[in-house]
This record gives sequence, structure tokens and C-alpha cells, in this order.
Amino acid sequence: MNLVIIDYGSGNLKSVENAFKNAVAVNNLKFRIKVTNSLKMISEADHLVLPGVGSFPDCKKGLKRIVGLFDLLTYEVLNKKKKFLGICVGMQLMVNYSLEKKRTSGFGWLNGYFKKIKKDGLDYLGRDYKIPHIGWNNLNIKDKMHPIFKDISEKEQYYFVHSYALESKNTNEILANTIYSQKIPAIIGKDNYIGVQFHPEKSGCSGQKFIYNWLKWKP
Amino acid sequence: MLSTRVIACLDVHNGRTVKGINFINLKDAGDPVEQAKQYSIIGADEICFLDISATNEKRKTMFDVISKTAEVCFVPLTVGGGVNNLSDFRELLNSGADKISINSSAVYNPDLIRQSSDKFGNQCVVLAIDAIANNEMPCGYEVTTHGGRKKTNIDVLKWAKQGEKNGAGEILLTSMNSDGTKKGYDLKLTKLISKNVSVPVIASGGAGSPKDMVEVVLEAGASAVLAASIFHYGIHSINSVKKEMLKSGIQIRDCEY
Repeated sequence: MNLVIIDYGSGNLKSVENAFKNAVAVNNLKFRIKVTNSLKMISEADHLVLPGVGSFPDCKKGLKRIVGLFDLLTYEVLNKKKKFLGICVGMQLMVNYSLEKKRTSGFGWLNGYFKKIKKDGLDYLGRDYKIPHIGWNNLNIKDKMHPIFKDISEKEQYYFVHSYALESKNTNEILANTIYSQKIPAIIGKDNYIGVQFHPEKSGCSGQKFIYNWLKWKP
Repeated sequence: MLSTRVIACLDVHNGRTVKGINFINLKDAGDPVEQAKQYSIIGADEICFLDISATNEKRKTMFDVISKTAEVCFVPLTVGGGVNNLSDFRELLNSGADKISINSSAVYNPDLIRQSSDKFGNQCVVLAIDAIANNEMPCGYEVTTHGGRKKTNIDVLKWAKQGEKNGAGEILLTSMNSDGTKKGYDLKLTKLISKNVSVPVIASGGAGSPKDMVEVVLEAGASAVLAASIFHYGIHSINSVKKEMLKSGIQIRDCEY
């Protein structure tokens, strides 16, 4: 299987590559992993991973800078039904738009938009809710039968770092939530594509398990 | 529920880990790659590398150590020390760092905070502040650079607020009075800053026991606690800190799953 991690000038590509390579090696999986922005390699790949750190508008700009990439991804994911994973801003790009800095449209594969996390009230220790939401948090899993949650317990935690959260009317597209001042969609998806607000590549053993499940997943 | 992070800090000099009392009399305590890996396995929520000599000797941090660490360590990795400009940021991030902490360079070039957060996102910019008590400052603390040796006449609270405004995603707050003493964090300082900025504040400097770490969370509102020497020489483990926190009602990440 060929897996491409899409390099569009944004994202902690090295960390994502390291974590996927480790999951492949440890589990004896047969994957060839490439980090590239070549449209040819992307269209020849079996699986696609879109990382993303920084702001939504900057990531969108980075995608658009590579001529043809934005539309190719929609074609590969919606028409050719390639398995896809969006990470952090890569996940945010999967919905209609974000309000970060200025209203910017995404791919629109899933319903909703991103708006700043509310920080009303105090946490359980009487501390203010700090933004960004940085650190390890639990998943409230909605569909425990979904193969990407195999052997993953709600007691496990994943590493989040973000200031914007998804607002969506299509609750069936939300696979797991996390709680920080408000309910925050942590995993979204449909058919062959999934997006995670957290960083599986930085989530220790739990992240490795998630990456393994995603690699094994046959949508 | 969000866990309070326990961060293991490794002070690195010439590719080797060191930690001295008040940053003087450095002792060699090992290989940073191997140590970072061990820390991540036993439950450190983040690893922080500080190249403590970088600013003094105008030396770049070791990209090699970072890339080797990033290959074996799947928790967030923060790197600081000797980061002077955007190309330093880029090189460190490309090596596998997730966040970059800036200290002296931000004081001498305050625009670096804005430039780096615009370019790489505020999630990767950690403003490190080395504070020293000084009653002549409006908030009672003065910003220092160069490991506490140079005073700047900048008020710590004002600097923290400015850093947040310019796009720092976190503040790593070190009390230079407490650092290395093992007598506990500076609660007054930590509370002052964490109450007045809206980004997470990492408490640093002075941890001597798990109880100190509980105290700075419960009494000063720290979002995360950082320590070096107490983990390093095996005086206390990450696990004993987390057990103490859990006993005190602080949510922690149990990495047994």
C-alpha cells in the first residue's frame, strides 16, 4: 500500500512521518510512506494523510499554492473514495468554513464551521479556561463499534492543541467528542474520510493505536 | 477532562544533558535522546529541551539531537535556547520539534513573537520568561535574560501580557529565585501571571517534591508543571508526581492504557 503524507508547507511533517513509520514498523504492516506534494504521487497513492498546524487561512493558502492540489484532493477522496485522514487543521479543512482570522472556506466534505472555543466559567479546580486548549484529553466515543476505536478506551487521552472548535448540525458525522469548557468534536468523518482534532502522532501509545487502527481500517 | 501536564525538562549542553543548581556547576547526566525516550515511556506528558548554553555561546541547538529524539519520542517536544530568528524556528520545526520556546531573543527583538506566531501558528510559540523578584518593578518581578544574569528593567506581568497579545500560545514561567533550590515553585509569581493572561502558564523553577507540583496547580492555577533535576537524578519519578496529583483531585494522564 502507498501512503502519502501531503506536504503543502504546513504541518509538523517530520513528526507525522515518524509516527506513521513507527506504527508500520512495529506492527509489520506493508506500507510505503512518502511525504510529497507531487500531484502524480497523490493520485497514485492508496491512502492520504493531510497534516496541518498554524492558522486555517494559512493552511488553505498553502494548499492553494500548489496548483491543482485542492481540487485533486476532493476528487481523490469523494470520487475515487481514497481513505483519508485529516489531522488538526487538516481536519478543520474538511468542513465548510472557519471563522479563524477571517471567514475562509474548506473542502466542504462535511457539514459545519469552526469558531473560537468559548471559555465561560472556571474548570473543576477553579482555574480559568485557557485558550488554546493545550494538553491531553479524553474521547467520548459515540460509535464504539467503528473499527478505528478498536482497543481504545475512553480512559485514554489524546494530545490536543487548538483554539477553534467545530459547530455542526450533522451529529452523525461526529464520531467522538472531547470536553473543554464546551463539547468539542474530536473525531469527525463519513464513508472513507476521517478527521481528528487532536494529534495522533504526538499522543504516545494511544496515538500509535489510533494510527494502527486507521491504517488497518477498510472503509 | 483535560489533564494537568507534567513536563520533563532536559537542559542540554554540547549534546549531553546537564542540570546545575541555579545554572552554575553543570553536571553531566546523560544522553538526551535516550532520556527523552525514557521519559515519554514512563509518562511525561511533554519533553522540553533547553540548550542552556546556546545564548551565551551564540551556538545553535543541536538539530541532530532533536531529529533523533523525534524518531523515538511520540509526545510533544519543545525546544528552546539560542533561537534568534525565523530560520532557526524553521530548522528546529523541520528537525521534529513541535514547539519552540524563546526567551532572550524575544526580549531583544519583541517582534520575533509576532513574526513566528504569524508564520508557524501560536500553538508552536512558547514565551519563556525568567523572572527575578524586584520590588522596584510594578508587579514585583523583573524579566531577566542569559540564565538570570542580565536584567532588562522589564516588568514581568507587562511582558507576559504583551507576549500573549503578540501571539505566544503558552508562557513558560521560571522563577530564577526558586530555580535549583528544590524549595517549591514561586506561588505568588505563578498566580500573578496565570490570573492575568488567557494562555496556559507552565510553572517552572524550584520543584523539590510532588507536593510542590500539586501546590502550584491548586494554589497558583498553573496549567502545567515543569521540572528537571528532581526527575533527573531519580529523586522523584513522573509517576510519583502523578500519583500525588491524582490524590489531590488533579486530573492526570494515565499512560497505562
